[in-house]
Amino acid sequence: MKTQRVADIVVGCGVALFGVFILSASMFITGGAAHRLPPRTFPMVVGFLLLFCGIALAIKNWSLRGADLAIHWPDREGMRTILVTLVSLGCYIALMNPLGLPLATFFYLAFSIWYLKQSKWLIAIVIGLITALISHYLFIRLLGLSFPAGFLFE
Amino acid sequence: MGFSFDYLFQGFAIALTWQNLFWALVGCFIGTLVGVLPGIGPVSGIAILLPLTTVLPPTSAIIMMAAIYYGAMYGGSTTAIVVNIPGEASSVPTAIDGYEMAKQGKAGPALAISAIGSFFAGTISVVALTLFAPMLAEFAVVFGPPEYFALMFMGLSLVISLSGRALLKGVISMALGLTAALIGQDPLTGAARLTFGTSTLNAGVDFISVIVGLFAISEVMINVEQRITAIDTMSISNWMPTWADIKQCIGTMIRATGVGFFLGLLPGCAPSVTTFVAYDLEKRVSKHPERFGHGAIEGVCAPEAANNATSTAGFIPLFSFGLPTAPSMAVMLGGLMMYGLQPGPMLFQTNPQFVWAVIASMYIGNVMLLILNLPLVGMWAKICRIPFYILGPIIVFCAMIGTYSIRFQGFDVWVMLLFGVIGYFMRKLGYPVAPMVLASVLAQMLETSMGQALLISQGSPLIFFTRPISAVFMVLAFLSIGRGIWAQVKAKAPEVVTDDAEY
Repeated sequence: MKTQRVADIVVGCGVALFGVFILSASMFITGGAAHRLPPRTFPMVVGFLLLFCGIALAIKNWSLRGADLAIHWPDREGMRTILVTLVSLGCYIALMNPLGLPLATFFYLAFSIWYLKQSKWLIAIVIGLITALISHYLFIRLLGLSFPAGFLFE
Repeated sequence: MGFSFDYLFQGFAIALTWQNLFWALVGCFIGTLVGVLPGIGPVSGIAILLPLTTVLPPTSAIIMMAAIYYGAMYGGSTTAIVVNIPGEASSVPTAIDGYEMAKQGKAGPALAISAIGSFFAGTISVVALTLFAPMLAEFAVVFGPPEYFALMFMGLSLVISLSGRALLKGVISMALGLTAALIGQDPLTGAARLTFGTSTLNAGVDFISVIVGLFAISEVMINVEQRITAIDTMSISNWMPTWADIKQCIGTMIRATGVGFFLGLLPGCAPSVTTFVAYDLEKRVSKHPERFGHGAIEGVCAPEAANNATSTAGFIPLFSFGLPTAPSMAVMLGGLMMYGLQPGPMLFQTNPQFVWAVIASMYIGNVMLLILNLPLVGMWAKICRIPFYILGPIIVFCAMIGTYSIRFQGFDVWVMLLFGVIGYFMRKLGYPVAPMVLASVLAQMLETSMGQALLISQGSPLIFFTRPISAVFMVLAFLSIGRGIWAQVKAKAPEVVTDDAEY
């Protein structure tokens, strides 16, 4: 998918397939059949819309001729940074319940700041610590929001 | 309920007491803070602070709660402009141009015009609330399900304008937003839809997770990929908008106030709808619509003015009929009832001093908000200059707090992450994001009002065309759709050309 045209054809086909999937999933929606607007109506309409637009986008770009635009995908380094960012966010979410918000926040921020600017490990730890304390005292203690406090603060 | 200068002056006399002025100031300050903090919107802000106001007399307590409400509505725009986190759906149109302005070193003017627009709209709306409340309240009750459906349908047709020349991509984006909103229980019958037998999906996908993912997380991914050192690296010469900027926005403020105020009278027509309508209107009347989405100052002013006008207009049905037009108004209603006040037609007769004192306090609160916020513009704008290796992870932390605190479910945060990835690919491949947000916000209201309208008409869709108000909205929607399709066919432009689409 290096050019816009190819990407649009691929995405168009993908969207059309997704439309078929939504259409078939909406067939299994039960209940409310006697209702004026049965619950499967809107999902079916959306499924048809996705199918139609996906096919139209693919065909339109298939028939397109002339200059094409390149898509600026990230280089290897950029791709790795994005992946690490996403994985660290995934770990943050996954660790929030077992470790609690403050501790998970500390680990996430300290790691992310260190990863994005490797020379600043002390800043990473200090900011991670401050944010963790803020998250505990402001959101959990003061405002009483139901975030997991974790074993350190329970 | 009738207007009388005597009552208004009495209201000012009460609102201008040192005690009430102090609580209005505290409310404005806390409200702004609540709006700026991630995850605590006006609804949770008022709900959290409601018990704390019990130590105050009823009038002071409601004055403070009202101040928290409109303070929070203003504060929400700050994160949208500075770091591209629209904590509420109503801040999405502000983020589109506001964040672009911030990237160009104009965060200060964007924040300032947002404060000025909010002040203008808030003040004009309070004047309208003072003078025309009885008449305007009647306008709200003629709206039934068919009119709501037609209005929401017209709202959905804004996709045409938000998509620029990438119409097909805009419609695909809208359809994906609708799909996300349809997951969960059917609002009318309670039947499970697109849940694939999992109990987690039964509660549905909250649109705040969708919005925060599409905007904040995808923005962090883009910045990380491009090794951005700071959101704003330009040298800043001016924190305030120029006179030319303000002059350019005067018409915008007037139009957005009108749109926000009249639509705000309708129950269910929350700022999340009116801000999009105001933004779209501004783009349509502009001589340079191509500037929208690339840092047009009117694109910041219009939604912010509409937001404040809608917030103020919501007090009319609340006071006149006891009808909350938005979730935050429902919390306000709870607050009024906690103090033994029963909103409705009798409120103005049984407690005139209370009602007029609250209305008078809104004039004062608007001035306070402006005085409080203009000097802080520089401070907020400086956030853009924080190195991105620090700001990026903090944006993710804020996004996580904001999303988790909606329902306190880890699932919502996973949804945010998923939509962050979807948003990243949409930006890379030239798909407009705004239609997806609009669709996810409108879907449930659209479906509910359609179901109710068909129940009234015993299944006949003609009801949408036989009632005058809904007929007008439907015709306008179809004209807008027809015009968009015609322009697309006539231009024969490839879908790759998306320079005037809104991201």
